[in-house]
Amino acid sequence: MTQVSTVAAAGAINASKIYGKDDSEVRALDDVTVDFALGQFTAIMGPSGSGKSTLMHCLAGLDALTSGRVLIGDTDLAQLDDKQLTSLRREKVGFIFQAYNLIPTLSALENITLPMDLGGVKPDQEWLDTVIDKMNLRNRLSHRPSELSGGQQQRVAVARALASRPQIIFADEPTGNLDSKTGAEILAFMKHAVTDLHQTIVMVTHDPVAAAYADRVIFLADGKVVAEIDNPTSELVLDRMKRLGS
Amino acid sequence: MMASPVVRLTLRGVLARKFRILLTILAVVSGVAFVSGAFILTDSVKGAINNLFVELRGEVDLEIRTKIAFGDSARAERDPVPVSLMKDIAALDGVRLVEANLLRQATIIKPDGEPLKTSGPAFGISWTGPDGLDGRTLLEGAIPTKSGEVAIDKASAKRAGYVLGDSVTVVGPTGKGEFTLVGLTGTGSTSGGGGASVCAFDPITANEFLGAENKADSIYVGITPGAARSDVQKAIEKVLPSGYEVITGEQSAKETAGAINKIIDIFGKVLLGFAAISLFVSAFLIFNTFAIIVSQRLRELALLRAVGASTRQIHLMIIGEGLVVGIIATGLGLLGGLGVAKGITFAFNAAGAAFPAADLLISSRTIILSVLIGIGVTVAAAVVPALRAGRIPPVAAMRPELGFSALQRSKRLIVGIATLATGIALFSIGLFVQPGGTVGTLGGSALGAVLLFLGVASLSTTVAAPVSRAISRILPFPLRPMTNSVPGRLASRNAQRTPRRTASTASALMVGLALVSMVSVVAASVKKSFTDQLKTSVTADFFVTNLSFQGLPVAFGERLAALPELGSVSPFRATRALINGEEKQIGAVKPEMGDLVDIKVEKGSIKSLADGDILLYKDPARDLNVDVGDTIDVTWQNGKTSKLTVGGIYADSSVAGNWLIGLDTLAEVSSAPPVDFFIGAKIADGVSIEDARAAVDKVAADFPSAEVQDQAEFQKSQEDQLNQLLAIVYGLLIFAIFIAILGIANTMALSVFERTREFGLLRAVGMSRRHLKRSVRWEAIIVSVFGATLGIVVGIPLGIAVAIALPDSFVTATVVPINTIVTILIASVVVGIFAAIFPARRAAKLDVLDAIATQ
Repeated sequence: MTQVSTVAAAGAINASKIYGKDDSEVRALDDVTVDFALGQFTAIMGPSGSGKSTLMHCLAGLDALTSGRVLIGDTDLAQLDDKQLTSLRREKVGFIFQAYNLIPTLSALENITLPMDLGGVKPDQEWLDTVIDKMNLRNRLSHRPSELSGGQQQRVAVARALASRPQIIFADEPTGNLDSKTGAEILAFMKHAVTDLHQTIVMVTHDPVAAAYADRVIFLADGKVVAEIDNPTSELVLDRMKRLGS
Repeated sequence: MMASPVVRLTLRGVLARKFRILLTILAVVSGVAFVSGAFILTDSVKGAINNLFVELRGEVDLEIRTKIAFGDSARAERDPVPVSLMKDIAALDGVRLVEANLLRQATIIKPDGEPLKTSGPAFGISWTGPDGLDGRTLLEGAIPTKSGEVAIDKASAKRAGYVLGDSVTVVGPTGKGEFTLVGLTGTGSTSGGGGASVCAFDPITANEFLGAENKADSIYVGITPGAARSDVQKAIEKVLPSGYEVITGEQSAKETAGAINKIIDIFGKVLLGFAAISLFVSAFLIFNTFAIIVSQRLRELALLRAVGASTRQIHLMIIGEGLVVGIIATGLGLLGGLGVAKGITFAFNAAGAAFPAADLLISSRTIILSVLIGIGVTVAAAVVPALRAGRIPPVAAMRPELGFSALQRSKRLIVGIATLATGIALFSIGLFVQPGGTVGTLGGSALGAVLLFLGVASLSTTVAAPVSRAISRILPFPLRPMTNSVPGRLASRNAQRTPRRTASTASALMVGLALVSMVSVVAASVKKSFTDQLKTSVTADFFVTNLSFQGLPVAFGERLAALPELGSVSPFRATRALINGEEKQIGAVKPEMGDLVDIKVEKGSIKSLADGDILLYKDPARDLNVDVGDTIDVTWQNGKTSKLTVGGIYADSSVAGNWLIGLDTLAEVSSAPPVDFFIGAKIADGVSIEDARAAVDKVAADFPSAEVQDQAEFQKSQEDQLNQLLAIVYGLLIFAIFIAILGIANTMALSVFERTREFGLLRAVGMSRRHLKRSVRWEAIIVSVFGATLGIVVGIPLGIAVAIALPDSFVTATVVPINTIVTILIASVVVGIFAAIFPARRAAKLDVLDAIATQ
């Protein structure tokens, strides 16, 4: 069942993103071409300022490229207006942020179904139950975010990202705010989502331990893809980081 | 059914921020309360007054009176009806009872010799008792049946301290009279006279004492049971001489009530005007609160966008929160309206107004308008923050700094300048071009002022930072410039940090204070012009007036004229006439008025009044294109017409008005009972002022309702009246300022909430609670002074414009009252201190560790 599809869930072609002008010009992304296969867990790594967050924001349709193309499935994001981008985020993309993932006034369940509620779509109850049980949230559904621990909050965020069965899930340092034990737990849940529930996840991280949960690691430096590892271990990742750093 | 997520988010959003929007709700509540209160009050009092007059008409089925040629029926000065007519009417079939309706001024004198003061008029009437047609009831004692007997309304008797059997002094048109109190009367279900004090006499006594000379105001007719009223009405019409008419009792009651209802309507409109001002100020507060809440929820809104909320859904959510606030506030406001109506009734009754006891009426119009206004204002004020919230990009969920720049983008400068320019244009057109009469003038200048305020509010963002810096440098607080201390510097920087917020917070205060400074400039100018005019035009040594606006009995003026201690004496009477198709008020005086008031006769002579000529002010003379010696056609209210020769043209209308005729001319054309509005008198040559005063006071002792004033007293009392009026206006404007204070308090509280982490940090590095409090307080003071400065800068030119636009007969001088302006500035500092009490305390209470841990 862990067969890797060769169809791309998302990808960037000759993607460049330039901030500022003239002297103060910063090339956050410099002609990046990369693919993310369906059913794969990919980690994007790189030092601060390497462009990894920018790449993710552009892939997710949160930010626009200066030049090049971004595809989600076979949809070119550059062709979409704000309305279409909104429904794309609602239907095809899931998000997990480092912190502040949940709307404080909504319960855990309401947070999980929020994207579908916003789109006026009835959630697939069977799938929803699967996700809730997988994330071990059954007893926490009526709680408000303030009544949940940090790990539980992140699990709700993962469940929300999964609930609408998006084409691809983007995670931005999902364990950055958690202690290592809780972080490991979240990463395990995310790994399950890929292996057992056949989801596609792209995660930005600077933690080699976190990257080791992925099927593939892409390294960015100065806005360029500089290396790739398949089936990484934390040692391999750390080793590559050291070499890149030198 | 599952609620839509937008509805759910909206409701939860309001609940989560209930304390933050509490003050906002309060502001809207007060505005709506004034709107609904105005309606409830006018509806209720009007209803009660209508009832009262219907009750007073009692069994009156028909009323016979003289016709008028033009004008408002209820306020008309009708010629009286000879009592002899009653015999013919009583003889008709279907007529059960005929009574003379006679009502004149009659003042009850209290046992201590002072006149009984009432807020309403003081009446003497002819009364045949509860079995007659009049609706008055006899509560205690007996009906007055012979000379020397009187019945008084129970409420007045009680206030004066009279009981049955007492000897009561009453002053009527013919002078003083002594009567035995035989009965106490009531009206309908009340024990009063509907706000008036009422002395009831039997018809013969009334005729003599009230000086009616066998004439009645009208004749009441009661019909026999079973007779058709319309038949009786027709029969009466047949026997009536020309110039008479018969109306139904209901119509008569309606007309009388209508005249009073008009005054109540004016009162209601004034209340509504102030409601509009306070709602306008509230709108700033709502706008500000929502704008701040939106920026505080930046990440939450961005997150919603990131997980798929559309821009429209964000708009709906914020506007929805406005709607919820509006609904709650409107509901409370309607309740508050009941309170306002009750409070005003109570205050007026405490002051002696004796509003008829009325159940408070909430009509569907009151509810509909309050709902539309309350919810409309709130939602409208939430629109701009909602639009701004919609601009927050989803990426701000991860990078909030991108969200802030999106919130700050706007075309403020262009829109602000355009709004301001349109406002100034409309205001000037309204004031100086005056299209469409009063409505156009008021509407144009009010709309212009609103736009002008909005434009200034929008532009003030641009100057908020530099002006705040300047204020904090200039304000010597407490003894040295604010910026010399750390709390002062923090306060100053914080005010500059968010110029948009500082500006919109200050704007609410700006509106209130601009209105106050505008009114104070106009008031000072009116006052100056008024006193200047009085000083130059009034030459009389004594003025006699009656402050209850009922006028003075003619007998008083006649006795004054006979005093050897006085030289020239003239009363001032007034009547209405149709000249060139327009209704005009005409003054009637003796030629001696020329010695008492300098009307600055340019051509002809005031002496010509004795020959039956008419004198007129230069403006109407120019409009009619008439000169001395020409004739003017005049139609009097009773239908008589005269051709009057112009005997003179004068240049000062401040006391005399535009038209003057002689007393004899008035007596010839009108037989309505005359009343003197005021009497002017000059001391005879060689008589000392003390002797003259003593002589006048001796006469006045017989007319206790008369108020004798020398020149200085007269001027002072005129100024006092003006000041009283202004005090009411200021009082209501201060209410708008109170809402503005709420606004500053609210913004400061929200800012404190927002800066929790920052305050924690300051405390952690060693700032004391006292310093923290001071910093918050000073920031509030900077904002207040900024608002006050804006208000003064905007208000003074507006006031000057209004003063210039007012007609010359009203305002000749333009004065900027420096004292008032300085007071406003000082008051604004106090306002800031008050507004900061709660937020400063809150900031100081923060626990250092908790504050730092806050995200």
